[in-house]
Amino acid sequence: MDNQQLRENRLVFYQDLVRDVNRLLREFLKLSNAKCAMLVDREGHMVTRQGVTRDLDVDTISALVAGSFAATREMARVLGEDEFSVLFHQGKTDNIQLSLVGDRTLLTVIFDEATTVGMVRLYAAETTKRLTELFEKQDREIRAGTKKQEDLDGDFADNAKGKLDDLFG
Amino acid sequence: MVQINFALREVNCKIVYYGPGMSGKTTNLEIVHKKAPEANKGELTSIATEGDRTLFFDFMPLDLGTIAGMRTRFQLYTVPGQVYYNSTRKLVLQGVDGIVFVADSSEAKMEENLESLENLKNNLAEYGKDIREIPLVLQWNKRDLPDALTVEQLNERMNHWGCPYFEAVAISGEGVFPTLKCLSGMVLETLNRDHRETTAATSSARQTIAASAGAATGTAVASSTAGTKMSGSVSNPAIRTGSTLDQMMSNSPAPKTAAPRSAAPKSAAPAPKTSSPAPSPASAAAKPAAGNQTGKGWQQPRKVDATPLEQTIRARPQTAGGPRQVQIAEKKSFPWIAVGLAGLIAVAAAVVLVYTGIVELPF
Repeated sequence: MDNQQLRENRLVFYQDLVRDVNRLLREFLKLSNAKCAMLVDREGHMVTRQGVTRDLDVDTISALVAGSFAATREMARVLGEDEFSVLFHQGKTDNIQLSLVGDRTLLTVIFDEATTVGMVRLYAAETTKRLTELFEKQDREIRAGTKKQEDLDGDFADNAKGKLDDLFG
Repeated sequence: MVQINFALREVNCKIVYYGPGMSGKTTNLEIVHKKAPEANKGELTSIATEGDRTLFFDFMPLDLGTIAGMRTRFQLYTVPGQVYYNSTRKLVLQGVDGIVFVADSSEAKMEENLESLENLKNNLAEYGKDIREIPLVLQWNKRDLPDALTVEQLNERMNHWGCPYFEAVAISGEGVFPTLKCLSGMVLETLNRDHRETTAATSSARQTIAASAGAATGTAVASSTAGTKMSGSVSNPAIRTGSTLDQMMSNSPAPKTAAPRSAAPKSAAPAPKTSSPAPSPASAAAKPAAGNQTGKGWQQPRKVDATPLEQTIRARPQTAGGPRQVQIAEKKSFPWIAVGLAGLIAVAAAVVLVYTGIVELPF
């Protein structure tokens, strides 16, 4: 993989981008009255979250959301569709809606009877659109070399060895 | 693919346990979950059939702690081993950063091992990944079986790429942590190398852009101001990464990664004549150590970019700096267009004045 591909493919989320994402998620929660909104990458790692997530095992939810979406995408492919861009799981009190944002992340919304699926779907569609624009803007800046990129510390790998020794003996 | 989140100060990596059905992938994960310190592990989630066969995947997060200011975490997955579930197996493999291939040492299972390894190669290829390039560790599991093949036989038939390998009896926990430790190290080393390479490419591109901007400005304005522009460019944050470049030169990862993965079997492969057909637990523990003669506890990634970093960096600026140069050229031509337009307007105004008789020509 050459460096151009690496730059475009790797999943790096910078502070300014996540700040903008958080702002959009907060606006979304205010308008839709949903409980919480999370952005999850396609590998199942959470990017950021807003709202009430105190009692949630966000790691597990993120992994399952990504797995669920990946499986659904495969179903779509078998049916000859490009993808199902929105998924909805209905529970007795809590519900989850997943929307694809660009081709790298998923907007995960958890909501209860305080709102309706129609409200969530309406505002999620608009938020998804704006999030996609944000990511596209960042990608353009990275490609043009104008994005100020943060670095991992030079001694990251060396420090990692010590941590691995601590954990695995 | 590794997620680097500078907002949450987190690095997330995805590790997948792959291998044929019943080879011990889920057992590996269960042992990690059982033995890892409470503070470092999350819930172990299994999507399994009623018979406890993995249907989609098993999953658990493992927190390594804070490394260089970044909370570093591994998401551990297993795949369903049965041939029938290839579509779901492939989904779990998406975005993988490192793989533990868990093979059953039993002679009777060799065909299944080979089939699964071939399947791994093909599924990775579908994601555009080469099995020779991704961090991969082989685990020869079930070493306590009476019909277990020797390590030499297993390496000969399956370890075509000189991967690090570990003997294990996963059900008793033996060999589980050394395997994961080795792979974790390889993944983090790869991350470190890739991130530095891409950062170097970007900063190199920025330097080219800055230099081009200075040069272009120098031709458009007086040469005395060109120097000012250049020094302005030098104070630009982009040039801060020049120090990163220097830092990279001094900490060039090339020598670190110069040991190819094939170094492992050379040093680790025991002489067939002297090897014992039924390895003792002591030899099981000794093999990984023998395979890691550096004494650092884990192997370097097998795929090595042996190109000196300096050359790599020098090769990149032209392509990376292209678009910016075009922009600069457009800006430079703007005043000429304005001057042309102004001239046209002046001529048109003169014609109108003459035509309406407001201004009379002297001839």
